[in-house]
Amino acid sequence: MRKRTKITVDPKYILAIIIVVCLIVMFVSFKFQDKMTPVRAVVGNVVTPMQKGINIVGAKVSDAMDYVDTVDKLVNENKELKKQLEELSAENKLLQQDKYELDSFRKLYDLDEQYAGYPKVTARVISSDGNNWYSSFVIDKGSDDGLAVNMNVMAGEGLVGRIIQVNKSYSRVLSIIDDSSNVTGTFLKTSDSCIVSGNLELINEGVIDITDIDGNADIKDGYAVVTSQISNKYLPGILIGYAKDLRKDSTNITQAGYLMPAADFSKLDMVLVITQVKDSEELEEMVTE
Amino acid sequence: MKRYISLFLTVIICFLLQTAVFQNFKLANVVPNFMVIVIASSGFMYGRKFGMYTGILSGVLMDFMYGDIIGVHILIYVLVGYMNGKGNKLYFKDDLSIPMLSLAVSDLIYNVLYYAFSFLLRGRLNIFSYLRNLILPEIIYTVVMGLIIYKLMHRIEDKMYPPVEVPLTDNGADKY
Repeated sequence: MRKRTKITVDPKYILAIIIVVCLIVMFVSFKFQDKMTPVRAVVGNVVTPMQKGINIVGAKVSDAMDYVDTVDKLVNENKELKKQLEELSAENKLLQQDKYELDSFRKLYDLDEQYAGYPKVTARVISSDGNNWYSSFVIDKGSDDGLAVNMNVMAGEGLVGRIIQVNKSYSRVLSIIDDSSNVTGTFLKTSDSCIVSGNLELINEGVIDITDIDGNADIKDGYAVVTSQISNKYLPGILIGYAKDLRKDSTNITQAGYLMPAADFSKLDMVLVITQVKDSEELEEMVTE
Repeated sequence: MKRYISLFLTVIICFLLQTAVFQNFKLANVVPNFMVIVIASSGFMYGRKFGMYTGILSGVLMDFMYGDIIGVHILIYVLVGYMNGKGNKLYFKDDLSIPMLSLAVSDLIYNVLYYAFSFLLRGRLNIFSYLRNLILPEIIYTVVMGLIIYKLMHRIEDKMYPPVEVPLTDNGADKY
C-alpha cells in the first residue's frame, strides 16, 4: 500500500470554524437581504427543474392511491349526491332570483370590475416548504414571465398569498396561513376593517386568526372578508375568506374570531398571479397629506 | 470518493422527497424530515466529519431555496451532524435501536432550535401546543421513514465496500 501523509484536523475545530462562518453568513444575508437573489439562484436553478419533474411523479402516485381508496366511497356518495341534486336544483332557482339583486349591488360597490380587471397569469406549484413550520411554496414562473416581488397570488377565487422572492424561472410565495403573515382586510358588508393573520396552532382546524375588529361593528359569522384599500401590499377587493366564531375581546373594545380561507390550501396545484403591484406610494402620499 | 458521491446523491434525493414528493403524502399535516434522517445516519455511520459535510450540503440546499436568512439551517444541521458523529463510537451495523433513538432526538433538537430561532423570537410562547401538534407527529413519521432510509444506506454501503475490507480508520471515523 502507498503511504500518504494526510493532514488531519480534529472535527471539533472544523465545527467551530463552520459555526463562525455560519454566523457571519447569517449576518451578511440579513443585512443585504435584497441582494441575495443571484446567490440563491445558483442552487435554485439546479434544483427546481428536478422538483418539477419529480413532483409530477408524486402527484400521479398520490392520485392513483386516491383512486383505489375512493371507488367504494364513490358508489355511496353518488346515491347521496343524487338526492342532494334534487334539493339543490330547487334551491338554485331561488338563488338565481337573488343573483340579480346581487349583481346590482356589485355594480354599486364597483367590485366586480376591479376583480376581473386585474391581469392574471397562471402558474404551477412545484414544491412546498422545506419544513413544517413555514407555509410557503415555489411556483414555476419568475421574472422572465413578468412576475415581481409583492404580487398577489390567488387560487380559485380566494387570496393565497404574495410573492416574496423572485428568480428568473421560479418564485416563492408566502401564503396567508403562514404564522408570520398579516393581511389588512375589510368586511364586505359593513366595511369594518380587521387584521387577518396566520396561526400555526390553528392550522389543523383549517382556520386562521382574525383580530382588531371594531367592538361596535355589526357583523355575523359567515360574512365575507376581502382585502382592504389601506393594505400596502395587497390589491383591494380580493376575497380572503369567511368569518367564523366571532366574539368580543375581554376589553370589550375590539372583536376577534377565526376566518375560513376561501382558497383550499390542502391541495394547491395551480395558482393565479395578479401581475399588478399595489402602488403604495400613492397611498403614503394620501396619508402624509 | 465513492462515499462522497453516494452521500451527495442521497442528500439530493432526500431533498426532493421532502420538498416535492411527500407533500402529497402528508400525515397529520406533517412531512417527515428527510434531511435530518440523512444527516443523522451519515454522522452515525461515518463519524463527525461526514455528519458535518452532509449537514452543510443539506443546509445550503434548504437555506438557498426556502430560508429567509441564509445560515440558520446550515448551523442547525451541522450541529445535528456533529452530535450524531459523536455516537459513531456506539455504531454497530445490525443494531437499530440506538440510531433510531438518536434520530428522534436529532429531529427534536432540530425542531426546538428552529422554533427558538423563528417563533419564540416573535412572541409565540405556547411551545407545548407546537410539541403536541407538530413536533411529535413529525418525529414519529421521521423515525418510520428513517428506518427505511437507514437500511437503504447500509445496502449501498455494502455494495460499495464489501463488509470485511473496511478498516475503521479509513472511513473518516474517529480513531478513539
